Amino acid sequence: MSLAALVGSKVKDPNGGTVGELRDVVVSWTAGAPYPRMTGIVVRSGKRDVLIGASWIEVSPPASVTLRSSRAFARAVERHPSDVALAHDVLDQQVVDSKGTQIVRPADVYLAQADGRVEAVGIEVGVGALFRRLGPKRLRRRVRPQQVIDWREIGSFAPTRDDGKPRRGRRSDLAGQTGAGLELEGEAGEVRRLHPSELRAALRAYKTGGEGETK
Amino acid sequence: MSAIDTPAGRKAGRVARLPRWLKGLLGLLAILGPGLISANAGNDAGGILTYASAGSQFGYRTLFLLVLITVALVVVQEMCSRLGAYTGEGLGALIREQFPLRSGAAAMVLLFVANAGLTVSEFAGVGASMELFGVSRYIAVPIALVGIWAVTVLGNYSRAERVFLVMGLVFISYPIAAVLAHPHWGTVVNNLVWPHFLHTNAFLLLAVALIGTTITPYMQFYLTSAVVDKGVTPKTYKGERIDTVNGAILGDVVSIFIIIATAAAIGGSGPLNSVSQAAAALKPVAGAAASQLFAFGLLGASLLAATVVPLSSAYAIAETAGVERSLARKIREAPLFYGLFTVQLVIGAVIALLPGNLVQLVINAQVLNGFITPILLTYILILANRRSVLGAAANGPVFRAVATVCVAVVGVLSALVLAQTVAGWFGA
Repeated sequence: MSLAALVGSKVKDPNGGTVGELRDVVVSWTAGAPYPRMTGIVVRSGKRDVLIGASWIEVSPPASVTLRSSRAFARAVERHPSDVALAHDVLDQQVVDSKGTQIVRPADVYLAQADGRVEAVGIEVGVGALFRRLGPKRLRRRVRPQQVIDWREIGSFAPTRDDGKPRRGRRSDLAGQTGAGLELEGEAGEVRRLHPSELRAALRAYKTGGEGETK
Repeated sequence: MSAIDTPAGRKAGRVARLPRWLKGLLGLLAILGPGLISANAGNDAGGILTYASAGSQFGYRTLFLLVLITVALVVVQEMCSRLGAYTGEGLGALIREQFPLRSGAAAMVLLFVANAGLTVSEFAGVGASMELFGVSRYIAVPIALVGIWAVTVLGNYSRAERVFLVMGLVFISYPIAAVLAHPHWGTVVNNLVWPHFLHTNAFLLLAVALIGTTITPYMQFYLTSAVVDKGVTPKTYKGERIDTVNGAILGDVVSIFIIIATAAAIGGSGPLNSVSQAAAALKPVAGAAASQLFAFGLLGASLLAATVVPLSSAYAIAETAGVERSLARKIREAPLFYGLFTVQLVIGAVIALLPGNLVQLVINAQVLNGFITPILLTYILILANRRSVLGAAANGPVFRAVATVCVAVVGVLSALVLAQTVAGWFGA
């Protein structure tokens, strides 16, 4: 499932009414878990953004999001240290290798389901995905993975450097944004790219899992 | 001649045997900052011919406009170098991160169009200067195309860049020419401090061309990346700011002297129609050799910009797309970067070979840049206003007001000329 396709799609309640527009997918990234799990979505409802927990929503491919109950619990958006807002923090931001050289910029983030949970599994760095996002909404849902980096290769959010020196190709400390930028564990050449077929298999597994759950 | 005219295979050996005086000059250039280099790179074929045309068509009347443009240029370039120093990212990367994808893509399309137009004018400059040497542009332009591509992609680009820069230094002779031509200094000063504008379409069109060639979009992208490459940090930014402001002012002082020299020599003789007219302004310095001197300088400036302009848009677009963008990479490793570079060169050379007046083609390309400039300046202004990008270094209220007025005035002028041009199509 493509994050770029999800962002901007309508979030529906069980009766088919529109609750709002999906703005972001929040995942929790804790040490130990290879793939970060979705904890909630940010929905623009009216003029404000609200956070709806993952347990209240049903996500199904290619890009539809429905609430399990019309009385879903929404709360004000707040950030936890382990939270990663995929559209805000990852999409279009830079991914640097362990030496601090900017190497890629995610054009998309792929999500898949495992054990009934939605997880971020890889980032797309191909130029084709950018053109897909520039096109009309229908085309945006036709996802053809090209060059995908396995999420497991991502080491951490770029930490603020203690010596206060901005690294090259990196937002400086003074820029006032916290935790912007992902960092790869290895150097540029060492990064393992997911083979498109591996990712397709993961996405297919999601699809069957998702259908099994709804029916 | 320059390294460009020799086949790619021999070029390396040629460049290595530089005369000693040239090596000294190269060393001097190496210590110049990015601000100074990028501002002087603005005096390219488009710049020189547009300033010369301003002098020949309207005498000293555009001088006050150039003072205003200089203020705007200082404001814009300061924002760009601040963005580079504080974020460590080029404008392309910042646009990708801070704007919706479609807005970013629109900016890149505009940058590509503006720079393709500029590349046309640089190849026209190559053709025009070689015609002063008696070489047909149908021979000179294709050789330049192949030469530039080969030197940049296969050869030693940075050394070639310096050779072109040194050739372009010929235009420092303009201030001397201006003094020797005995202009009416009273009139010059009067025109510098008080507007003597004409309410005609031709004047307005040239005003937009002057804006387009002086506050060129590519220079802003180039400057930001150069500041990042130089490793300027918030701590060392103070010195960089001085370099940027000085560079912008110095570059425009040369531009102002080009107008004065041309106005004194051929002022009031109507729009510039050939480069030999423009060369006439250098007669007080070079006498009978004026034409050769002008052609030599124009060739260097054109070759430099014909290399830098397509490189800069290929770099910015690849940066926005987040893919490889370095001359250190192989063609296969950075296909988008090399592809865009090559496509622009070919577009530039082919259009410069179409029959027509080269000088007018060059000036029209500057008008096109003048239309696009205010749009791209808006992106820069929004970025420099954002505290989420620059933190405490974001534009303060006063700076923000001044910068907004600059961008708005440029925008209104461009919109006026665009409206007149479109109305002209339907009226005709």
